[in-house]
Amino acid sequence: MNPAEELKQLFPDSVVSVGFQIKKPLAIIKKEDLLNVAKKVKEMGFDNLSVITGIDYRDRFEVVYNFFSYTKKQNLVLKVILDHNNPEVSSLASIWKVADWLERETYDLVGITFGGHPNLKRILLPDGWIGHPLRKDYDMNVDQFVTVGEDGEDIVSTDGTNLLRR
Amino acid sequence: MEKGGFRVDPLTIDTTKIKFTKKQPVTALDKLNDTGLISTVLAAREREGLILFSTIDQIFNWARLSSLWPVTSGLACCAIEMMATAMAHHDVARFGMEIFRASPRQADLMFVAGTVTKRMAPRVKKLYEMMPDPKWVISVGSCANTGGPYIESYCVLKGVDLIIPVDVYIPGCPPRPEAWIYGIIQLREKIKNQGYGAKWGLNK
Repeated sequence: MNPAEELKQLFPDSVVSVGFQIKKPLAIIKKEDLLNVAKKVKEMGFDNLSVITGIDYRDRFEVVYNFFSYTKKQNLVLKVILDHNNPEVSSLASIWKVADWLERETYDLVGITFGGHPNLKRILLPDGWIGHPLRKDYDMNVDQFVTVGEDGEDIVSTDGTNLLRR
Repeated sequence: MEKGGFRVDPLTIDTTKIKFTKKQPVTALDKLNDTGLISTVLAAREREGLILFSTIDQIFNWARLSSLWPVTSGLACCAIEMMATAMAHHDVARFGMEIFRASPRQADLMFVAGTVTKRMAPRVKKLYEMMPDPKWVISVGSCANTGGPYIESYCVLKGVDLIIPVDVYIPGCPPRPEAWIYGIIQLREKIKNQGYGAKWGLNK
């Protein structure tokens, strides 16, 4: 029995469906119960959270968690489906430390809010950037430029007169 | 050797019998012509080429192009090729460029080697502004030239010439060290023809 089916037996109400994603056991979880399931996943021996991905499907957001167990040599993929208007899911940073930065990256590029995150701010793009670039409705026609302020901080603006050659 | 091509096995050539036909440079004019670095040279005939006249900017140009010191700045994978160009196999020290300065204040030349992201762009511009005049910029690789594969990206500048003036563009992704050296030679040609000597038509 693979770990996804194990989760289905333990949490019959929380797990919506199980399957496979590129030969990895996949379980789709209700977003309210993610934290409970994740605690159990940690107890099952999945000590490594490899990557968190956020995907924009125009009508919904999906957040994909890839786990790996170094002791059992097993993979597990958890997936939550979020509302497009209010993409919010609870943070896993209290269980896996690495989730701190991975969730900040997902927040930065896709704009998914992680409730209970200790320090939810942009990690790659400078503060003040307009929009989340990996969303489908991101406006590519607006050029944003970065200039360096007096204290070395990044200032984002849409006019590049300080930066571009005249 | 037969007519129409080399048919002789190169291992069997007796190198002691080969005579070099090139004349050894004797006078100062010959020596300077032999380098090919100064294009405007006038010699006093009656002194048999022992006195040279030139425009002063041509002498300056010669001095500048003979020791271009680049600033150590790499932005992406093109910087790896820059290191390969500086290493012994391709040996950019032949052009007097082996000293990659760690400070832009001591450098003449900047290689923009790699992707110029929006966040890096003000830093690149600042680095250029910190260099003392005269200064030159070589834009290396597709990313620095036009944006390259990241042309449709939200965070990459579409060509470094939007923020700083560029003298030579080297295409490639990344360009091989041979392409780098060709670009360097093009920049040396450009420096050689700067100034009033070239403007007045005094160069050969």
